[in-house]
Amino acid sequence: MVFNSVLFLLFLLILIPVNYFLPKRFRVTLLVLSSAAFIGYYNVESLVAVLVFSAFNFYIAKRISGNRALYIAGVLINAYAIIMFNYFHATRNGFDFSYTAISFNLQSFIIALGLSYYSLQNIAYLTEVYYKRLQPQTNLEHYVLYASFFPKVISGPVLLPGEFFPQISTNTITKEKLVSGFNRFLFGLFKKMVIADRLSPAVHSIFDFNDAYHGLTTLAGAYLFTIQLYFDFSGYTDMALGVAKMLGYDLKENFNLPLRSTSVSEFWRRWHISLIGWFTAYIYYPVVYRLRSYKKAAALIGILLTFLISGIWHGIGLTFLTWALCHAIYLGYELLTKRSRITLSEKINKQFYKIISVFIVFNAVCFSNIFFRAASFSKAMQLIKNLFTDFLPSGYLKDVLAPLAVGGHQLDEFNFYSTIVMLVLFLGLERRLNRIATSEKINVIFVTACVLLIFVFGIFNNGERFIYMQF
Amino acid sequence: MLERMQQVFRTVFEDQRLVITPETSAKDIKMWDSLTHLELITAVETEFNLKFSFSEVMGFNNAGDMLRLIEKIMGK
Repeated sequence: MVFNSVLFLLFLLILIPVNYFLPKRFRVTLLVLSSAAFIGYYNVESLVAVLVFSAFNFYIAKRISGNRALYIAGVLINAYAIIMFNYFHATRNGFDFSYTAISFNLQSFIIALGLSYYSLQNIAYLTEVYYKRLQPQTNLEHYVLYASFFPKVISGPVLLPGEFFPQISTNTITKEKLVSGFNRFLFGLFKKMVIADRLSPAVHSIFDFNDAYHGLTTLAGAYLFTIQLYFDFSGYTDMALGVAKMLGYDLKENFNLPLRSTSVSEFWRRWHISLIGWFTAYIYYPVVYRLRSYKKAAALIGILLTFLISGIWHGIGLTFLTWALCHAIYLGYELLTKRSRITLSEKINKQFYKIISVFIVFNAVCFSNIFFRAASFSKAMQLIKNLFTDFLPSGYLKDVLAPLAVGGHQLDEFNFYSTIVMLVLFLGLERRLNRIATSEKINVIFVTACVLLIFVFGIFNNGERFIYMQF
Repeated sequence: MLERMQQVFRTVFEDQRLVITPETSAKDIKMWDSLTHLELITAVETEFNLKFSFSEVMGFNNAGDMLRLIEKIMGK
């Protein structure tokens, strides 16, 4: 049940009013049951896995405080589940387990155990309880809701226990929250259906065909993928935050205008904020704290290790590993040159320095994302070779527009140009649009424009699955 | 004590003009982020000859938090 499906909209149309009018004491049960239905809709194995693992983490947490062996075992089991999830996802090398009349797909079960976001939250919970920063939960239902709350279970944002549990008891739904959540959901739907999915064919054409495109065409494809990923994932997050808000919960912001970052370290404070927050709290800082006597070398090791684990978390394979290495190199470079860059920024025109920095960071991120998107390492290398071969095409229409517009017809070109115009306008007005989308008042122009644009330009039939659902 | 800490900040962040107050936080110093935070902590630990625990390190929001903890540890 993806967020941009009719079925999900129907699900919300029933759930949100029922939850609103239900006495507060029954809301947790309703949301646990709704989350179970949401997960169970994918397959029953996922539901069983989430319930079994929630119970597992809930019960071992009760005995984990100060018990190092149990803590390590708990974390390893959760981490192993993530690796198995990615391994099976990468190889699709499954097997069926049939016993008497019950057929149960063991692979699906194992995959679901490692639902990556879900497992990260379990590890965070065990860690907080182990270090006595959090009392273990006494209510299994509350724990299941924390672990499996449906707006965030598939693709985040990752919530730390201290950010979610207090909201269960203070849960209140006001009309302002309903309006604000609705605005945010609609905004996300627009980003996904009108921009991300309309960019998908152009990106697909550059990344998945074997044509030897010119450098400029490949560069445009690489730029468009990063932009597509941003609209797809931030659109998803807007929808998740909007739905949660309408149910009385505040999830963590995941994006803060990341394409305007002036350094890669700033980029990671603005992109997928909740995930990088998890990695910083549970991997980077503990590692660097232990090694801190080595000064800068400690931070460099911490960066490398954090990104290697982040690479494995995203997927097992050389492509994700190279993506991670790119970012470790970028951040390592920034750490070692920070003072000289600040000195330079103070000597030259501030606006000029900012524009150049944003351009360099955007290109660095797009370069790494070639590895993130390419189907294989050899394909990524071929794209990079294309990037630096015959950069300028002989004919713009034939060599640039036709591959990106996926066809040479006027309608294809119109579709492509209209997407580019909308995304440029969007990026230019983004700060203002974000303000309207998080407002607690209905803005008739905003709602009408979103609905009209979705119906006129939205992709309804062949839309891509949310990209981050695979992680 | 604030002066000693200011000297540590100046050395770690490679800026001899830095002026530190108890309210100074990462927002005020461009060089101070997650990549340099623990380098600062190590330098403070060396200067005052003490060790912070992991949770203490994670709890610092500004220079004042660090100063108060140092005074507490040294006062024991």
